Amino acid sequence: MSTTKTYSALGERMQTCTLENGLRICYLPKEGFSKTFAILATNFGSVDASFTFEGQRYDTPAGVAHFLEHKMFEDKDGNALQKFARTGASPNAFTSHTMTAYHFSCTDRFAENLEILLKFVFTPYFTEENVAKERGIIGQEIGMMDDTPGWQAMVGLYEGLYREHPVRVSIAGSVESIARITPDLLYTCHRAFYSPKNMALVVCGTADFDEICRMAAAFSPQDAPEIGERHYGARREAVNELLVERHMQVSQPQFLIGFKDEPVQPGESRLRRSLLGQLAARILCGDTAPLYAALYEKRLIGRDFDVDYALIPQGACAMLGGESRDPAAVREAVEREAARLAREGVEPQLFGRMKKALYGLHLRVLDVPEAYARQEATALFAGEHYPDFAALFDTIGPADVQAMFARWARRDRSAMSVILPK
Amino acid sequence: MQQVTRKKLGEGVSLTCITTPKFKRAVLRVMLLLPLGGPDGALRACLPQVLRRGTAALPDLRALGEALDELYGARIEAVVRKEGENLCIGFLSDCIDEAYAPGADGLTAGVIRLLADLLCNPCLQDGMLRADYTAGERDSLIDRIAAQKNDPRAWAPKRLMQLMCADEAYGQPTLGTAEQARSITETKLTAAWRRALDEAQIELFYCGTMAPDAVENLFAATPLTRPRTAALYQPHTQILAQPAGAPRETVETEQVTQGKLSLGFRTGGSCLTGGDPAAYWMFQTLFGGSTSSKLFLHVREEQSLCYYASAQFIAPKGILMVNSGIENKDFETARDEILRQLDACRAGDITDAEIESARKTLTTNWRAMLDDPLTLERYWLGQAAAGTLVSPEERIAQVADVTRARIVAVAQATALDTVYFMKGAAE
Repeated sequence: MSTTKTYSALGERMQTCTLENGLRICYLPKEGFSKTFAILATNFGSVDASFTFEGQRYDTPAGVAHFLEHKMFEDKDGNALQKFARTGASPNAFTSHTMTAYHFSCTDRFAENLEILLKFVFTPYFTEENVAKERGIIGQEIGMMDDTPGWQAMVGLYEGLYREHPVRVSIAGSVESIARITPDLLYTCHRAFYSPKNMALVVCGTADFDEICRMAAAFSPQDAPEIGERHYGARREAVNELLVERHMQVSQPQFLIGFKDEPVQPGESRLRRSLLGQLAARILCGDTAPLYAALYEKRLIGRDFDVDYALIPQGACAMLGGESRDPAAVREAVEREAARLAREGVEPQLFGRMKKALYGLHLRVLDVPEAYARQEATALFAGEHYPDFAALFDTIGPADVQAMFARWARRDRSAMSVILPK
Repeated sequence: MQQVTRKKLGEGVSLTCITTPKFKRAVLRVMLLLPLGGPDGALRACLPQVLRRGTAALPDLRALGEALDELYGARIEAVVRKEGENLCIGFLSDCIDEAYAPGADGLTAGVIRLLADLLCNPCLQDGMLRADYTAGERDSLIDRIAAQKNDPRAWAPKRLMQLMCADEAYGQPTLGTAEQARSITETKLTAAWRRALDEAQIELFYCGTMAPDAVENLFAATPLTRPRTAALYQPHTQILAQPAGAPRETVETEQVTQGKLSLGFRTGGSCLTGGDPAAYWMFQTLFGGSTSSKLFLHVREEQSLCYYASAQFIAPKGILMVNSGIENKDFETARDEILRQLDACRAGDITDAEIESARKTLTTNWRAMLDDPLTLERYWLGQAAAGTLVSPEERIAQVADVTRARIVAVAQATALDTVYFMKGAAE
């Protein structure tokens, strides 16, 4: 059954449908665009390393979701990348903490490209040889991430915030952990998480919705195993470590401050929580906030300073960071401001303009097919649609933000990760 | 065809407008084109950062932040970049189209006024740029110059260009040197600002729904189009068709895990404005510009030497660059394999499938560019700096009939100039 949803304030009209095997499909037309972008995503990321599937518990080596992403491109009859090369499409893939996604953009031969995408993602083909070969390539990718200070700061922050949650571990794992990945294990993960029930197909651009649905039905398996239970460890309200430090070749310290928030509650809108978290983070120290100006003028932060709000299964946190000669001073100021906002609330004028700005930023995502499609897939996994943000904005008031600051400002809810010069 | 209008608004002031109904946002830019390098390098790099601190009407970050939020989160970023051997400094903005929010009428006009004010009506004290803003941004610039090495993947290609083009303006650092930066004062900076406004080519850009005449009128009402009498800087880039001598090799050790290998080649003269750029894009793409390229297939997939190995055609300067991240022990193996793949191209060892795949990849990329206003901004600035105005659609037409013989010819004209290897010394 397909449905059309109209978002008149945004000037968007979206078509959706769910296949009998559970695959969710969403199409956002973009009139006048040359390019069409398609993403096939599974609700399976690096944090889903421990799970129970068909009655058996699996505790997999770190990096298995990412390894699987690399290996999916290989099929018995060749590499999918080379099939895309013949049509001129640009294919790629990524693995995040919560999602693995395969995508392409093209300016013609859309149907042909969609067929390649659906076929290779639903057809696993792993051998001892091709798995061994990939270890070398991924080993180099891990080496590259080891040398990226911003990435290492994030890994450190998650270590500080969480004691057991698998988000603590870097997405690609380590050279040691990927050495333990076998073809059998990859097959198990594919069967457990690449079930159409656990996946979403999002298309944005100029395509034919009925054709998308027809092809998805033809090239996705009828057999859709039930998704097993995932295990994220015991949850604690307090952070694991207040401060995590590493040394790297950097010219001055890079840091991330995190406020641990409560996970999305049953019945709560994930999208609304995400909007609320981003709004709170911007009010606290976004680049137009009063505290940002004060810290910038003291040269404690620079234009690279940024804020975000992240949601993971059974977890949520705000993140603020960049480079600073004195991260501890920034942390103290940010924590003090969070406590003040929790106590005094947000003044109406500041709240109004911040909300207006965030609305504008979300609106602009609809112009960027890659960004929109990723947000849409995330929203679909939570049973929502990204363009719902416009209506949800109306439900957010100053008291909601104040309640969030009250959670952030509690004792032992913040951690900081710092990359120090060697 | 996308509607592109180019208009002269004054002496050395040009406006490029892309008029399209398909976006919910507008992208705007005001940019000054000036010489790259020289003793004023750091002063020029510092300038947009100081100007970004406040205008006469909105004198600090608080006031600016409020104004930007009220413009529905319009973003305005200070920009320092190079296009060929020209330095570009100014401001880039993206904001929502006024049709998509209640009460947003006049938003575009507001952003244009703000952009012009940032450049022409900054916050002054006694006729000078503020001392505290200058000191703060001077110190931040010194930090940024030092921070360039923090990301090894970005640093290796920059370092290669410094080494390879040491005797050309292109090898000069975009941000200037730390030594230059340390001597920045508000007096010097104010003088540099006035000089820049007098002498620079000014490139304005708009992409959005508004008609070109309306955009022109909005810009014409700002001081950006005031009459100027000084001799104006003429953008230019010197192209070296061949290396000056035998290939050079530099190995430097850094405290990183992974080695970074970068190779720089001269193209035999192919560049934005000369040689056979269409054939060169075809060659670069099949050599190392996509996931079906020779470098990807042989260096990464077959030999598992790296996570990335790609070739980039720096068309404004007529340079081909290959970048790769490898294990330290694989330096010679990877370098030799990259050169072997180049030799294969030179020998005509190229299949029809490779040629067609490269043509399709390029066509897709240029067509897709039409959907991305920020990429279009960058594209058209590159054209303006090179003194040429070839549209992405025309580029697509130009690669349509490139033959194998032309690809082989440009591969044969390609000569290795410099090899740079950043050797990792960390555990």
